[in-house]
Amino acid sequence: MSKIEIRNLVKMYGAHQALHGIDISIAPGEFCVLVGPSGCGKSTTLRMVAGLETISGGEVVIGDRVVNGLKPKDRGIAMVFQNYALYPSKTVYENMSFSLRLAKMPKPEIARRVNDVAQILELTPLLERKPGALSGGQRQRVAMGRAIVRDPEVFLFDEPLSNLDAKLRGQMRAEIKRLHQRLNNTIIYVTHDQVEAMTLADKIVIMKDGRIEQQGTPDEVFHDPDTLFVAGFMGSPPMNLIDCIVTPTGIRLSEVEIACDVPPSLTSGDKVVFGIRADDLRPSSEGAEGVPIKAHLDLIEQLGTENLAHFRLGHTEMIGKTDGRTALSAGDTPSFTLQMRHAYFFDPATGARLR
Amino acid sequence: MTRIIQGFRAQGTAYLFLLPCLVILGALLSVPLYKVVEYSLYDNVIVERNPTFVGLQNYRDLLTDGAYWSASLNTILFTIGSVVGHIIVGTGLALLVNSDINRHAQTLFRSLLILPWIFTAVVVALNWQLLLNPFGVVNYALGQLGLIDEPLDWLGDPALAMWSLLVISTWRGYPFIMVSFLSGLQSIPQELYEAAEIDGAGFFAKFWHVTIPQLKPVIYGVALLDLIWTFQLFPLVWLTTGGGPGRATEVLSTMTFRFAFVDFEFSKAATAAVSILVISAAFTILYLRNETRKI
Amino acid sequence: MSEEDNVKLTCTLKAAVAAATLLAGTASAQTEIEWLQWFAAENTTGFYEALAEEFEATHPDIKVKLVTQPFGKVRESIVTDSAIGVGSDVLGLNMPWTAEFMKIGLLEPLDDYLARDTNSFATEDLVQAPIGKIEGHTWMVPLNAFPFVMHVNMQLVEQAGFDAPPSTWDELREQAIAIAALGEGTSGIGLPFSSQPPANGPILTFLPLLYTNGGRIMDGTTPNFDNPKVVETLHFLNDLNKAGAIAPGISSRTGGVDLEEFIAGRTGFLISPGVHAQAIEGRNADLDYVAAAVPNNGIEAYRVHGWELGLSSASRNKDEAWEFINFLLSKDVNARVAAASNALPGNLEALEIVGEGAGDVMQAQIGILAEHEPVEELRQAPNAVGSWSLMTEEMQSMLNGDQTPEETAANVQARWLDLIK
Repeated sequence: MSKIEIRNLVKMYGAHQALHGIDISIAPGEFCVLVGPSGCGKSTTLRMVAGLETISGGEVVIGDRVVNGLKPKDRGIAMVFQNYALYPSKTVYENMSFSLRLAKMPKPEIARRVNDVAQILELTPLLERKPGALSGGQRQRVAMGRAIVRDPEVFLFDEPLSNLDAKLRGQMRAEIKRLHQRLNNTIIYVTHDQVEAMTLADKIVIMKDGRIEQQGTPDEVFHDPDTLFVAGFMGSPPMNLIDCIVTPTGIRLSEVEIACDVPPSLTSGDKVVFGIRADDLRPSSEGAEGVPIKAHLDLIEQLGTENLAHFRLGHTEMIGKTDGRTALSAGDTPSFTLQMRHAYFFDPATGARLR
Repeated sequence: MTRIIQGFRAQGTAYLFLLPCLVILGALLSVPLYKVVEYSLYDNVIVERNPTFVGLQNYRDLLTDGAYWSASLNTILFTIGSVVGHIIVGTGLALLVNSDINRHAQTLFRSLLILPWIFTAVVVALNWQLLLNPFGVVNYALGQLGLIDEPLDWLGDPALAMWSLLVISTWRGYPFIMVSFLSGLQSIPQELYEAAEIDGAGFFAKFWHVTIPQLKPVIYGVALLDLIWTFQLFPLVWLTTGGGPGRATEVLSTMTFRFAFVDFEFSKAATAAVSILVISAAFTILYLRNETRKI
Repeated sequence: MSEEDNVKLTCTLKAAVAAATLLAGTASAQTEIEWLQWFAAENTTGFYEALAEEFEATHPDIKVKLVTQPFGKVRESIVTDSAIGVGSDVLGLNMPWTAEFMKIGLLEPLDDYLARDTNSFATEDLVQAPIGKIEGHTWMVPLNAFPFVMHVNMQLVEQAGFDAPPSTWDELREQAIAIAALGEGTSGIGLPFSSQPPANGPILTFLPLLYTNGGRIMDGTTPNFDNPKVVETLHFLNDLNKAGAIAPGISSRTGGVDLEEFIAGRTGFLISPGVHAQAIEGRNADLDYVAAAVPNNGIEAYRVHGWELGLSSASRNKDEAWEFINFLLSKDVNARVAAASNALPGNLEALEIVGEGAGDVMQAQIGILAEHEPVEELRQAPNAVGSWSLMTEEMQSMLNGDQTPEETAANVQARWLDLIK
């Protein structure tokens, strides 16, 4: 169990700068998820921590050591790859024991460790099989097993669940979480899936274009986004983000005047982006408090306990939520309530949150 | 029977398109093949206008001929030596030109290293004769390095000729292996090397545990193919040493040619050719079985 | 097939038949003869193609088709073509092939043709060696002739302290050893005894020396290799080798390398056909070079070699084919052929034309031709090509120190007899 410090990390590919000074501090035993769209630099950051990419600037500290110049095997890390990267010619047992053999660990000790881990991951009956004879989920567990047997200070996961179907992904997500609770190692986990990030992380780092947009607990990044990008990226369905203009009494949103408080820095006539999550936009009939608007319902998406209500306000399309037992249907024009205490304002030019 | 006819009716057009190909193949393959086997059962064909049928006598003669067995031994030596040489050099160079270096340099090296494959056997033979000449570059270089005291006659000394021939054959044949392995290497996922690196594998461990197992199907198929080709290789040996000095580098193919066109013993030549055919066919069956297993 | 299709097909067939008849008609008006040879491969100026056209101009009913192959392929082609019945009419031949081809029966006896009074030449004017009778018949006629000579690097000879080329074996031995002793990679003489085809080193160097020693390897049509004269000649070569006078790498030295080394000025002497003068002078004009008779051990004789012509026994146009041969042997044409191949003419009547204004090397050859005895044995040797492979192998072994000249002679004889059994 070690802390990880990433300080001012820079990656250059020729003249192209892929990372612009990344700073992340991960406490011992913390589960840190790097999330962002493809090309944001999350995998590059992870691979630099692993030692698979050279470091162009800044430093990586694992435990108390600066590991910049160290080979991957000397960094005290283990990694789980997107495509599992199991050795096809080796059995599950051989795959899991390979690093230990290379480290010249005594055979009985290897056997004990591999068998222990196999037990935890329910791989014992599969030990003599080759990867080709395993299902996707089994391969994923072997890949994790291979990482666990090394008893590393740090686990690195590079989009480990992206090749699994949705159901299996849910199971494996829970399994990884349980494993972390049990082993309590420091983890860096890369994903493009914000649900995975939310469910797994102690700390979420949201990246975009080689820069960190925001880092914090899942609760912080979800409920208190620093930027327009974070607000739009986290959460499903995505937050409603609507261009509007500040008026003396509030805002004008798609030709509809809404009386509300706006951040004190704004003055009448300013353009802002108004943001509100679907959870905070419910039918007035369900007793929510806030500003009522008249919605033209286009579509009701049933999710079970809740429904997503797609509607128009003037020309603007928005998504709200209703109770799963609602009697509303497309074509209706019910009143919805904007719960303004959960509304956000952003600067349309810089994307910065306006408070 | 009706089913066959129906099948033929349904696919008749397809067979019709195949027909020219089948006829040509039949004429080019089966007729000569049949003729060679037939010749081997007669006494002195071509030279005699009315050869007599002698059954297996030619085979009995060949199998009791000491020269045949020494040529067989040479063939085995030459074949195995060449194939091993091709694989070692081909793999080594495939790894080198697959390494992550400057793109232009990589293309340059890949093109240069394929060159030995492009030259005809005549050119290869001539160049190596000059290189290995007692006054040639090889002797000069070895002499300058102090490795030999006086020039050696690499192709003329019975003790050295086969080794020299193996060097030439290796030089000539490695590009095929290199090219095959190169495409094999490029299809190995980079993740496997990264995983191995994290597991603590060095260069050799990566080579042994990742590269070799991943290349294994390619190696097996290519080595067999190379074996089939090298086993009956004729021009390079004939043009470089002519089987000599003495018969130090005589292989089955040169022996067959010698029977046919030096001695005009076409029946003996046919018999030797059939013996090559049998062994080549065995290798070919192995190869084909390997290929079908892949599919 | 519809009715309409049927009509179409019939029409097409009729047209095809008509066309075929027409073509056959024109073809029958002109006879095509094929001439398989390597001569045109060694002359890239189109000389032989022009010659064929010249012949066709005076013989409008005959068309000559040149089938040109490298020398090394011609012998195989003649045999394989005849085996599948597509042989040429006029064949370019080499004397050592005679016995083999006779045995297979693919040569036509030329006696009747030579007796024709319409011939453009007199039989007695031809170089005699190729037309000598075997089994009672003449089998080929000489297009040209190459006497074997010794090419001499005079600069090396003079550096070694001599002022004239050697004319006897003793002088050859003395000068060769002295030249080798000059160092700097020079050798007295090269022996191209590589097994690499055509593996005919012994007939290039050993036989000319044997003949100037008065020896032979044949007794009629029977191999007679194991005789004192042969052993003496083998001793001569063996002693030269032991004295370090012969270029190293004998067993890997090909004819090509031997010639190159002489041209490059690294060997004092080269025994080979006079025709090589062209290559030597063309490639190294600075070489101080003369051609001389092969040094003798008492007998003034030379081995003769040439390009011969024969008729295929399977030819269906033998008269037309002979007409073409007759054209090639006529004095004027034969002189031009000799000049084009830098050789002596097969029809000696053309000698005066060739001699006019010819260089030193050619004059030397004409001198040899006039005064020395020509010898050619391989034409009556059974399995000649196989036999010189054996000579090559056994002489390699001798010069490698593995056997004595006596054993060498005995081994060649035994293996040769075994080969023709």
